[in-house]
Amino acid sequence: MKQLIFVLLSVLFINAGMAQTRITGTVTASEDGSPIPYAVVLVKGSRGVGTNTDVEGKYSLSNVASDAVLVFSYVGYKTQEVPVAGRTVVNVEMVTDALALDEVIVVAYGTSTKGTFTGAASVVKADAIKDVPALSFENAIGGKIPGLQITTLSGQAGSTSAIRIRGIGSMNATNEPLYVVDGVPVIAGNVSQMGNYTTSNVMSTINPNDIESITVLKDAAASALYGSRAANGVIVITTKQGKAGKPVINFKASVGITPTFATDNYEAASPEQQVELYYENFWNAGKYDGDSDEDASAGALAQLNKRFNKHGYIFTAPDNTVNSLTISGERAGQYFDWEEVLFRTAVYQAYDISVSGGTEASNYYTSFSYTNDLGRSVINYFDRITGRMNFSQKIGQHIEFSTNINVSTSGKEGFNDTRALGNNYFLQSRNLLWGLYWPTDYVTGLPWTTRFGSYAYNPVYYNNEWENSSKTQRVMANETLTVKILPELILRSIFSFDNTQTFDHLYYSALHFSGASVGGSVTENSTKINEIVSSTTLNYNKTFGSVHTVGALIGWEAASNQTDYLMAKGTNLPTSALHTVATAGKLDASSYYWGHTMASMLSRAEYNYDNRYYVSASFRRDGSSKLGPNSRWGNFWSVAGSWRIDRESFMQSVPVISSLRLRASYGVNGTLPTSNYGWRSLTSYASKYMEQPGGGVSTIADANLSWETSYTSNFAVEFGLFDQKLSGSLEYFNRDSKNLLQDVPISTVTGFSSTLQNVGEINNKGIEFELFGQILKSGDFTWTAGITASHVKSTVTKLYGGQNIIWYEPTGGDNRVKFIYKEGESTLAIYGREWAGVENETGKNVWFTNNSNTPDLQVDGRPATYSYSNASEVVLGDVHPKLFGGFNTDLNWKGISLSMNFMYKIGGYTYDAAGKDCNDDGYYWERIMSLDAYENRWTPEHQDAMYPQRIAIDMEDVNQKSSRHMHPADFTRLKSVTLGYTLPADLVRKVKLSGARIYFNGANLWTLAAWKVYDPEVNEYGSRGWEMPLGKTYTFGIEASF
Amino acid sequence: MKKITILLSVLGIMLITSCEDFLDVKPSNYAASETSITNAADAKVAMNGLMRKMTDVNYYGRNFVIYGDAKGGDFAIRSQGRGLDYYYSFNHSPSSGSGSGFWTQIYHCILQANNLIQNIQSMEDAGNGSTALSEYKGQALTARALMYFDLVRIYGKSYNMDKTSYGVPLVLEPLDASAQPTRASVEEVYTQILKDLSDAAPLLSQSKQNGYINYYANKAIEARVYLFMDNYTAALAAAEEVIAATGMYSLYSNEGWVDSWATPYGSESIFELAIYPAEADLTTGSLGYYLLRLYKVTGASGWFMASDYWITRMSEDLTDIRWGIMDYDESSPTRFGSSLKYVGGASLQGDKSSRSAVNVKVIRLSEMYLIAAEAALGLPVPDKTKAATYLNEIRKRSPALEPATDLTVTVDMIIDEKSKEFFAEGLRYFDMLRLNRSIEYNDEFITPAVVITHRTKIIDRTFYKTILPISQTEIDANPAIADQQNPDYGN
Repeated sequence: MKQLIFVLLSVLFINAGMAQTRITGTVTASEDGSPIPYAVVLVKGSRGVGTNTDVEGKYSLSNVASDAVLVFSYVGYKTQEVPVAGRTVVNVEMVTDALALDEVIVVAYGTSTKGTFTGAASVVKADAIKDVPALSFENAIGGKIPGLQITTLSGQAGSTSAIRIRGIGSMNATNEPLYVVDGVPVIAGNVSQMGNYTTSNVMSTINPNDIESITVLKDAAASALYGSRAANGVIVITTKQGKAGKPVINFKASVGITPTFATDNYEAASPEQQVELYYENFWNAGKYDGDSDEDASAGALAQLNKRFNKHGYIFTAPDNTVNSLTISGERAGQYFDWEEVLFRTAVYQAYDISVSGGTEASNYYTSFSYTNDLGRSVINYFDRITGRMNFSQKIGQHIEFSTNINVSTSGKEGFNDTRALGNNYFLQSRNLLWGLYWPTDYVTGLPWTTRFGSYAYNPVYYNNEWENSSKTQRVMANETLTVKILPELILRSIFSFDNTQTFDHLYYSALHFSGASVGGSVTENSTKINEIVSSTTLNYNKTFGSVHTVGALIGWEAASNQTDYLMAKGTNLPTSALHTVATAGKLDASSYYWGHTMASMLSRAEYNYDNRYYVSASFRRDGSSKLGPNSRWGNFWSVAGSWRIDRESFMQSVPVISSLRLRASYGVNGTLPTSNYGWRSLTSYASKYMEQPGGGVSTIADANLSWETSYTSNFAVEFGLFDQKLSGSLEYFNRDSKNLLQDVPISTVTGFSSTLQNVGEINNKGIEFELFGQILKSGDFTWTAGITASHVKSTVTKLYGGQNIIWYEPTGGDNRVKFIYKEGESTLAIYGREWAGVENETGKNVWFTNNSNTPDLQVDGRPATYSYSNASEVVLGDVHPKLFGGFNTDLNWKGISLSMNFMYKIGGYTYDAAGKDCNDDGYYWERIMSLDAYENRWTPEHQDAMYPQRIAIDMEDVNQKSSRHMHPADFTRLKSVTLGYTLPADLVRKVKLSGARIYFNGANLWTLAAWKVYDPEVNEYGSRGWEMPLGKTYTFGIEASF
Repeated sequence: MKKITILLSVLGIMLITSCEDFLDVKPSNYAASETSITNAADAKVAMNGLMRKMTDVNYYGRNFVIYGDAKGGDFAIRSQGRGLDYYYSFNHSPSSGSGSGFWTQIYHCILQANNLIQNIQSMEDAGNGSTALSEYKGQALTARALMYFDLVRIYGKSYNMDKTSYGVPLVLEPLDASAQPTRASVEEVYTQILKDLSDAAPLLSQSKQNGYINYYANKAIEARVYLFMDNYTAALAAAEEVIAATGMYSLYSNEGWVDSWATPYGSESIFELAIYPAEADLTTGSLGYYLLRLYKVTGASGWFMASDYWITRMSEDLTDIRWGIMDYDESSPTRFGSSLKYVGGASLQGDKSSRSAVNVKVIRLSEMYLIAAEAALGLPVPDKTKAATYLNEIRKRSPALEPATDLTVTVDMIIDEKSKEFFAEGLRYFDMLRLNRSIEYNDEFITPAVVITHRTKIIDRTFYKTILPISQTEIDANPAIADQQNPDYGN
């Protein structure tokens, strides 16, 4: 009936005046031609006349004047006004909103837009990470966000990364940011109990392809709403939601190979060179002892023959010098290639399928993925299956339920890549396994089972006698209820359950050197982490008088985290065929739990005037079980403001500037101790004696231990020029962190070596710069480029009590680098003796004394000594780079795209923690040495040498923490290059696809480094040890959507 | 809508009502220190903890025992770099090879003793004492005395060399984390040791306490301490008191001597620390494995074996029953330089069917006889007959050797006997320092030859490295002790 009247009226109108017609059309996205459903189509100037596109992007509007103007809009796209100009079909390509300032970003407890958000936040979208063969998203965002440093701890498949946002704000408590997934803080970091074998990065339980966006909250205004856990920044991950429209099926498959390491890594000298070094080492020692050439040579040959006769080599040196050193014997001329048996071409495969879609009332996104990564090492793999279901349903006008469920299971095998001589194959290949060693005995042909002279075991044999694995299963379920109480008042309640279980398995057969003394052993560890978070927020937003917009939020949150640990161990195994505790002759077990809780109140107020002036303030109060009753509650707050200068009328006269905004913020947030019970003085019962319980005092604690508190200010200017063809931002921040917690070394006469205390203050300040520009656009060809640069100065400003604190890098428990916390020095100030190099005449080590001791000589006009023990320790340098960041460039021509991402680091030092093993002065004579050591050592013929003479007299010089092991850290690396081709739309439609793309991605293909002996992409402490280095990965992939 | 309102209200109420309870999360495997010792049963648990901590690798579990022999001339190494060879080569400096594990671990044990003593004292002060409690106090005091005695001999000069020189910091009660104690003199440390021993003696049980300290362990330690102070009268008295307890302890027979190493708590054991599997068991890193011949079993690396000098000394009598615990070493099938004392003898079955979890006999009765013998010779009026009598009780384990007489007995004979009897039991080095003997090292045994640069072939106690340096780590954390570094260790 209504329609009839409408038609009648229409007819009347047509007759009454100008031509009125029915207009139809399709709204598509310019980037891929896909239809845009539910886009809004309005007739300009006619209130209430308009429609939405349907699921295929089609619309129709009746009775539109032929000179009318249609307005097309859709979230995330530029609003377009299109004159009808007499047409009856108006098709529109929507262009994504280049004014990125209006981009919606996910922030603490809600969303905002880039242009209105008053805090410092950076966003990485799914597109930027989708082609990188990464098990976890961290590995794909390096160099993309200013102020963010990502370090890879190991090149083993499935390893953990470390993320640092704006420097180091804590000494002992965590420097890891808080991870928030779909609005809920989640478990992060390593969850395996087998730290010695393999770490399990729990973030890799989230399929990177499910991620819609990653927001990094950097300043107090952005993060203070997360209070006591936010001082190190917050990483907010939002997973994909279905879009209204027809179901979209996406399929993606990629295969990558890693045939080589990305750079040289302590490449070993050749077997002949090793033999030469060995001979020289003892020949020199003999001469040092006053021997004749004959005796010195005989001694050196005896050493060689003793070690290698049994492997089929005989050594002679007729003229008693190295010049006539000859290798003969059964295996002469043949050397075993250990690298060949320990490493392989890594193969990475990933398959993803997702189905998403929705209606106006509901939407869904489901995905399933399988990833398999066989690492470079023959005992390293990672595989993973993930499934996700994100569903949301509107009930009536006011209520919306959404559920996000992620289920994943992953498995990993790896090896201990700390300085573990027995297990670390990377170390062994470059330090212990001579080419003169063979996996079989040359006399009997049987496997070689005893230790080699260098103390390595034959990995070919022992690889079959042990196994390790770590399986992680994670279920994350997130239920959100949103109630629109009033149009401007929204209540949101989130309940989240995050359960991560890790099962670690470690088996040694009775034949393995680690299992022999107990008749074989098998250990199972189960670690179950349950994190339950409940939060409820009430959000009010209203605009008054069209220029005053007010927002307010209050909320409560409670979080509880408990880890249940269970270990079962069996020794004395009946058969090598069964690797289970149940079969063991002897059992051992342990089980306990630990955890923490937090209760919080939070609030935020925002106001903006005419979308030009913005102010906001937030306040949060947290109570934590990690602190004692006297100090457990803390208050955290922030204030911020911004000014959209570009919206001022006076700016209209400056057309060059298309956007300009100033931002400033100040706030306080905190960091909790890492330890759950650090404030309690405890008695441990880990000292069983004669099968009875035994206890002892295990900590001296400070019951008044308090939060670490950070005071952060932030100033930024954001700009866009030439209609946003060039845009960027410049940001300055200053963070003062006080009451820092530290395990302070104390006199061991107390019975302990350290205690946790609030000891000092750190300042981090820096500048972040980001620039993005469209260099060229002509026809189908576009070329864009961007750069990020960050400078962070991280300084210890105060130590309560004034006493310096000496500490060591915790990695691998090996005291790799010695650092000092000293007022005025960097937070990563390397401490040790200052090596003055090598005396040209003698090949001896020389050291700057740096004290008033009587010097032995002068080097460069400074007092120096031959004996390191006469030299004092000083601050040697800073690990922090002067500048770091990335640059990227994208070329697009028709369907072809080429993008490159570089990362770089300028300034600072790396510390070579492995050099003492493979580049020593003769102390570890049974080990093989690097080519660097061979080529650059002192010999009478090569006096202008970098390293001293090799001489087997037990010199400890190389084992001192010293500047000898420091090298410039500068490098740049092509982290990722992607060449993609999107097949023409008409072509793919013929095969019933809606889109198809093929691509190639190369990771770490090119590196330029100031110091070339090892991979310059080092860990957060700037040190390079025996961890597995990164490889060059070549990935081919296809993507198709239906 | 209504249901939701109710749900939210419930959530809100839950949050508000139980906040402080919600935030009180206690550990599941630790107890609060303040309340962990409140009765005799708790004290027993703490005593177990102390005994266990004394079996740590850095103390009686391995390193301290190796230390006393690796440096004493009775041990040799075949190759460098296998482990702990820096004890042998004296490659020590404050920053590397400082051997700080002794300092750290023993002070950690002393803290446990001090904590126990203090807790028992306060229970007694409150009128809640008991016999059981005072016995634990006696054990803790005696253990503390032994630990200070070990520390002062590692870090301080011999008592009879310079007792006014630096000993070790003397700490008698739990310290605050901020404490920076400095070193007492050697003499002050010895004074405290004697005081602890005499305070403890009346509190201790006179019956056997396998795995723990009893009255006779206290007396045996006292005999040792007095011997190191050259107080021969008191050393003799203490040793004889132990020897006189014939109902408790008796010397192994010649037939039973070898088997005693396969038996826990033998008739000679006055103080024996228990090492059980899954407790202080160091598996392939155990004391037993350190002394096994290279490759004898998987993981055996032949770290230390007998020196030529010890072999020569033992070869005075090829029928010496103590050869029975020796196995041939890697140098030759005829050189019996590898000790099987800590693997239960040739069976390799340990003392409780484990090759590596084998008890450490800290003090044996044989030592009391040799202390008595040496002390009798050292008396103001030497009692040579007594010395010979006590010595012969042990010397008869070399059946082919002539017994000593009042005419032939010498300190050298007693010391040689001690070397044979206590090989690999960690006594030799300290005796050599005490008696100011020169120590010769069998460096030629290292094959192929290696130049040892950190000491000369022969040293005596005037060599600065005969005592260990205070580690750089301790000095960094406790600058007050920096000026008290042992001489010649730099800075």
